[in-house]
Amino acid sequence: MGSVRMTQITALVLRAVAAGYRYGFDVMEACDLPSGTAYPALRRLEKAGLLESSWETAEDAHAAGRPRRRTYVVTPSGVNALAEAEQKLAEARRLLGHLPPAPTVEA
Amino acid sequence: MRLSSLWIRFLSVLVPSDDRRDWTEEWQAELAAIGGSMTHAWGALADAWYLRTDGWTMDGMIRDVRTAFRGLVRSPFFTAIAGLTLAIGIGANTAIFSVVDAVLLNPLPYPESDRLVSYNFEAPGLAVQAPVIPLSEGLYLHYLENARSLDAFAVFNNGSVNLVTDGDPQQFASISVTSQYFDVLGIPPLLGRGLVEGEDRPGAEPVVVLGAAVWEQSFGSDPGILGRLVEMDGVQRRVVGVMPADVRALTEEVWLPLEIDTEGPVTGSLGLIGLGRLAEGITIEAADTEMQDLLMRFVEANSDALPPELIEQAGLASDVKALKELIVRDIRQILWVLLGTVGIVLLIACANVANLFLVRAEGRQRERALRAAMGASRLDIVRQYLTESIALAAGAGLVGLGLASLGVRGLMSLAGDGLPQVFEVGIDGSVLVFTLVISIGSGVLFGLFPAMGRGTRDLAHSLKDGGRSATGGRERFRVRSGLVVAQIALSLVLLVGSGLMLRSFAALRDVDPGFEAEGLLTFAYSLPEAEYADAAMVIDFHRRLSERLRALPGAERAGTITGMPLTGLNAASAMEPADQPFGEGELGPIIERRQVTPGFFAAMKIPIVDGRPLAWGDQGTEYRGVVISETLASAFWPGRSAVGQMIQSQGDTENPWEVVGVAGDVLFDAVQDEAQPVLYLPVMAGTAESPGVAYSGDVVVRVGADPLAAVQGARDALRAVDPRLPMINPRTVESVVEESMVSTSFTVILLGIAAGVALLLGTVGIYGVVAYIVSRRTQEIGVRMALGAPAATVLKGVIGQGLRLTAFGVVIGLLGAWGVSRALASLLYGVTATDPVTFIGTAGFLASVSLLATWIPARRASRVDPVQALRAE
Repeated sequence: MGSVRMTQITALVLRAVAAGYRYGFDVMEACDLPSGTAYPALRRLEKAGLLESSWETAEDAHAAGRPRRRTYVVTPSGVNALAEAEQKLAEARRLLGHLPPAPTVEA
Repeated sequence: MRLSSLWIRFLSVLVPSDDRRDWTEEWQAELAAIGGSMTHAWGALADAWYLRTDGWTMDGMIRDVRTAFRGLVRSPFFTAIAGLTLAIGIGANTAIFSVVDAVLLNPLPYPESDRLVSYNFEAPGLAVQAPVIPLSEGLYLHYLENARSLDAFAVFNNGSVNLVTDGDPQQFASISVTSQYFDVLGIPPLLGRGLVEGEDRPGAEPVVVLGAAVWEQSFGSDPGILGRLVEMDGVQRRVVGVMPADVRALTEEVWLPLEIDTEGPVTGSLGLIGLGRLAEGITIEAADTEMQDLLMRFVEANSDALPPELIEQAGLASDVKALKELIVRDIRQILWVLLGTVGIVLLIACANVANLFLVRAEGRQRERALRAAMGASRLDIVRQYLTESIALAAGAGLVGLGLASLGVRGLMSLAGDGLPQVFEVGIDGSVLVFTLVISIGSGVLFGLFPAMGRGTRDLAHSLKDGGRSATGGRERFRVRSGLVVAQIALSLVLLVGSGLMLRSFAALRDVDPGFEAEGLLTFAYSLPEAEYADAAMVIDFHRRLSERLRALPGAERAGTITGMPLTGLNAASAMEPADQPFGEGELGPIIERRQVTPGFFAAMKIPIVDGRPLAWGDQGTEYRGVVISETLASAFWPGRSAVGQMIQSQGDTENPWEVVGVAGDVLFDAVQDEAQPVLYLPVMAGTAESPGVAYSGDVVVRVGADPLAAVQGARDALRAVDPRLPMINPRTVESVVEESMVSTSFTVILLGIAAGVALLLGTVGIYGVVAYIVSRRTQEIGVRMALGAPAATVLKGVIGQGLRLTAFGVVIGLLGAWGVSRALASLLYGVTATDPVTFIGTAGFLASVSLLATWIPARRASRVDPVQALRAE
């Protein structure tokens, strides 16, 4: 098990899985990411132990009339990591909130 | 099966074997869930690549590169041969590409240059062979006033001026332009300004814009040059601007206002090339449509001068082109042919290096098997091979760049004036990218060959005998044979191409231009009109000059002509025989016209087949004698003597000329074109009111063996006649002839070099393979000879193997050459693109060379000592 650098994309993907999107393509669509970005992020998260994947049973898949799909769920350390990431985000928002509003740029 | 499913299977090869099954199943299932569309399937490549490279570390890569370099350094001979072969291929491609890039791919060096267009018209119904038909002044004014699709419009014609500074005359290429010329090009001056409206009208103050080179050379970059008066062709002109050095539209160095006479005849003489800047958002087609419209309105408004039936017969149409088209013209095709040629050379070089790598791989079977045994995947081994080949190719690319920068210089001097100077050929960013791409591309190409072949399945076998068994090499041998066949085929394609060009060149050289070029010196002159206002003065200049030149030691005859033969058509008008004029609205042939002095024909050794040459007495207003060419004589007076007949400009019955002689045909345009009908007028070709004297032209003087030795004498002679006239561009007439064939000789030389390199590499290739066969079979041959097989049988067997490869290669090569030689068709002369003699001849030549390459190692095989051969094991 390695560690993963929590980027915007990995955090987004992790959050989507935590929200209950189980399949790779569902995650991709939920995050509005191209598949070539979403998948490597899933791989990285799984390698770091924040996600866990398993395969649907053949019966379930058969009942749904399609090939079996791989499902992803968040591990306990994934839950922690997500909480940590969200806390950092809240902190960043709070700090930004103390600053006077930035001048808007005319398009 | 769905495309997306195939794609996933294809990509799965990339995925490490541990993950491969799961990976494939997951992607197939996900894609199936969304209906199998390809939209989301592309991401699988990124995913697979991520998994493949996940374990790769920078350390691992560095280790690979280090191993590769160590391997290459350990076999310096191999590295040098393979590297040099590649460097030549890459260098040749880089050199040619840098020209292609500058000339064909890069825009012209002007702001928004895609909006620049040239304007001329075409008239297919006229018997004029010129590539473009220029405009008249009236038409220019008509366009200037009415054209909406152009932001700016100008016309120009080229010339030269004599600039006198400190009593020293100097000649510069000049261009006469109308006021909007610099607006069209869109370039700001370095100093001062360009031309302004009105400066191109009669009576305006004479001004001049200097190029930076002239400003530097003749005026020492004097910042106070603006407003100064300089003397050009005897006229005092005020300097109003200096243009930066990189403005080199047509190699001119000085810009003069072109005087447009608004009161003159609307149809006046032709001779102006139009140049325009398209208005924002206007396409070339739209501009062409508008110009065509305006042209027709112009014709209607001037129907007295331009009878509509005549216009219809001529098929007059406007011709708006991108300016670049006008400049690039026929260079385009030669360049693509050359790029294709060097591309083939690089392929052959890659095949050769692949062969070398294969031989080397033989010796490294054991190493490879060992690595596989220690857990290296097949892809890891391929990666190792590729790192090595790409490292070699990258090194070769560097050397190739060096070769290319030398090559570009050679190319430019070989191409001479054939390449417009507006293009800056050199090695820039895009050339570097090109070199990088072809280097890595060829590294991958030849690196994959040794990586192919046996996988890891017969590992133990490899470890045991180190790949020495004959069976182990069979697959590789097939690959090598295939490479040799490809090399022979590609070499043959190049040989056929260069053979065809060589035959064209020989045919061109055999063309009789109608005069004798050996022993002739020529130079150009240009008289300042202001100082030679009187026609008699011009005639006197010519008479005195030819007397002086004839007095040179060894000189025989001298003469002048307005425009040397073989330098292109430049002045033409519609003529008719006075005794059988053309009817109203009927268009006579357009006849090329030249003005010559009496000595011209004798100096050039152009035979006078009937009558007499021109005499000084023909130069005047009382007696108007002309000489015509044979083609013209037989066109106007077939079956009769033309001497004594009268000839006139179409419709001009007032001023006929009497034909006093008929001269042999001379080629004025390119060598490959047919003889044009030509009218030779005296120096003063007009009437007393409008003398039409020739102010500039070319002098020819026959001086004997070494024409250039007479340059100084000729210069003194010119100076004695008028000390303020510079001698322009002295050269031998033979060099004029050679230059007229420059595009052919340029192509011949480059194709010849390419074919030579291809032949050398191909020969080395086949030699290598046959020598390899022999070394592999030494043992077997030894056994057979020990059992009593005669040497001749052994020899035959080995040669047979080599010949089979050759035969395959030749057949494929002939088919290939048949397919691609068409690309050369328009560059050929006197030979068809599928000329059987060239095809059979080059095939025979290549076959005999490869037979020799086969025979040498085969003979060694037949001399094998059975005892030694057996002991070698």
